[in-house]
Amino acid sequence: MIAGRGPGALARRLALAAVAGLLLSVWAFPVLWALLTSFKSERDVLAYPPVWWFEPTLEHYREVLFGASSILPNLWSSVVVASVTTVGTMLLALPAAYAVARLRYPGRRASGFYVLATQMLPPVGLVIPYYLALQKAGALDTYGGMVLIYLTFSLPFAIWLMVSYFEDVPPEMEEAALLDHAGRLGAFWHVVLPQVRGGIAVTTVFVFLNAWNEFLFAVVLGGNKVRTVTVAMFNFISVEQTLWAKLAAGAMVAMAPVILIGLLAQRHIVKGLTVGAVKGGGRR
Amino acid sequence: MSAATGRGGVTLQGAVKRHGELTVLHGVDLQIRPGEFFVLLGPSGSGKTTTLRVLAGLESISAGRVLMDGEDVTERDPGDRDVAMVFQSYALYPHMTVAQNIGFPLKMLGRPASEVAQAVTAAAQRVSIDHLLARRPGQLSGGQQQRVALARAIVRQPRLFLLDEPLSNLDARLRLETRVELKKLQRTLGVTTVYVTHDQEEAMTLADRIAVFMEGRIVQVGTPAEVFGRPTHAAVAGFIGTPPMNLLDGTWHRDAVAVDGGGRVAVGVHSDAPRAVRLGIRPGDLRLVAADGVPAEVELVEELGDSRIAVLHAGAQRLKLKSAEALPLAEGQAVHLAAEPRHTHLFDRASGERLN
Repeated sequence: MIAGRGPGALARRLALAAVAGLLLSVWAFPVLWALLTSFKSERDVLAYPPVWWFEPTLEHYREVLFGASSILPNLWSSVVVASVTTVGTMLLALPAAYAVARLRYPGRRASGFYVLATQMLPPVGLVIPYYLALQKAGALDTYGGMVLIYLTFSLPFAIWLMVSYFEDVPPEMEEAALLDHAGRLGAFWHVVLPQVRGGIAVTTVFVFLNAWNEFLFAVVLGGNKVRTVTVAMFNFISVEQTLWAKLAAGAMVAMAPVILIGLLAQRHIVKGLTVGAVKGGGRR
Repeated sequence: MSAATGRGGVTLQGAVKRHGELTVLHGVDLQIRPGEFFVLLGPSGSGKTTTLRVLAGLESISAGRVLMDGEDVTERDPGDRDVAMVFQSYALYPHMTVAQNIGFPLKMLGRPASEVAQAVTAAAQRVSIDHLLARRPGQLSGGQQQRVALARAIVRQPRLFLLDEPLSNLDARLRLETRVELKKLQRTLGVTTVYVTHDQEEAMTLADRIAVFMEGRIVQVGTPAEVFGRPTHAAVAGFIGTPPMNLLDGTWHRDAVAVDGGGRVAVGVHSDAPRAVRLGIRPGDLRLVAADGVPAEVELVEELGDSRIAVLHAGAQRLKLKSAEALPLAEGQAVHLAAEPRHTHLFDRASGERLN
């Protein structure tokens, strides 16, 4: 962008900053509110009007991490479910997306649409069939069953996302690799995959986030053995009372790994999202 | 790197390529000799690039055979044909350094790292990019990228180079320089080279022999002098030359052609019965005469420095006259045109085949 010159440009930048700040505060408010709440005593949480000055306490963090209602085992469950889902999704989605992007086979368009159509189905309509299917298979409350169900929605999403990245790789680059003795698999591994690194990072993060934050299937298909962190937090809400501060502290803890991953992948995400806008030097 | 002599003969027998309903190649036959610089020339969509891709193994053919050094390679994968290709877009690997790009084919062949490094340096020196080995393609100019693509092709000493319009992405000056270097490189390496271009000047300067493609067929194969001097088809005549040959519709009877729209040109060959023809005369072979010949009117004169081109029309037909001397012509001036009988080319009007 051309550096701002003159009073008009300055006003423009101020206005943009104001708008950006406003939007940011809308998104940031719930998080900040939850952060604040997690340090309040349960009594202060419910005070009306809200108290802004209170004695911060780490009691809720202690409780959700090491207390009777510790969510650490649930965090572990979430890590297992989300990681296995993510790795499995990517292992299957990369070759599948590559095939959709490159190979010319009958029904290619239709299969692309089918993949997208599965994303349009409201998940709640699937809960009961999935429950019955897993029950019959004896896979309720198991990691295997949970991951399998997660794959059914993460896989189409990942394929759909990756196809556009693969389509951006010039076919000649692969043909060059074929002539350079790489073979089909070698061309895919040495030449195509490195071109879509950004896309892989973006897709991995999205798939992981979706699995990590998933609640509906986790609460119905899980149980005592496989209880993810979202379900565990839900248990702070009961008929008698809702432990808002513990819920907030739990949410903060559950957010931490996701934020970490987001920060690590940020560079790739920004790069991945702008792929195709500007082609690398030397390409047409 | 020693000259690979005796290797790299290529034969294409009746190659047919269909894309569904569309036939892209209608039975192409080619015989390319070892060590030859062979150019496939034609307008876009004429099948020249498809033919190159068939040789590379990137396209299968619906019928016909591909032979290399006498072996049938029709069904062989691109990697198993011992051919190297330079793409129009260069197709460099953007995530690798120049050295890694050049060394990639050798690495894929499983050669030891020390050997790869040596070969990479040698290939890079040949095309004068040995100072750029640590860079990535994105940091190079178009001309440098082109050299990297060349180095990647020569590094493993294949029996056949396939070049797909390798100069078309360079600016005009660089294109001329690179053209000369390319020719010298091919001479020293002695590797059979198949070169695709739509630029006939490139074809004329580079080729040992040219195959002219039109609508999925080869219409003429010959040396640049043959293709220029004795085109076998009106389509070739109308494509080769700057500007290309003038083609005038007329009727050939006895020793002359009566041009539609007026005027006669003696052609030195005899036809007993009147015959509908296209009379071809190179712009450089047209002369201005005081009377007779073909009457025409001057539309404009283009000054090219060392020569000038007069654009004229004779009746409804447009033609060009090229002259090394000054042309004292004014727009709208009426002139008369003539040509030596030995400089005339006769083509059948319907089929386009050469008649004289």
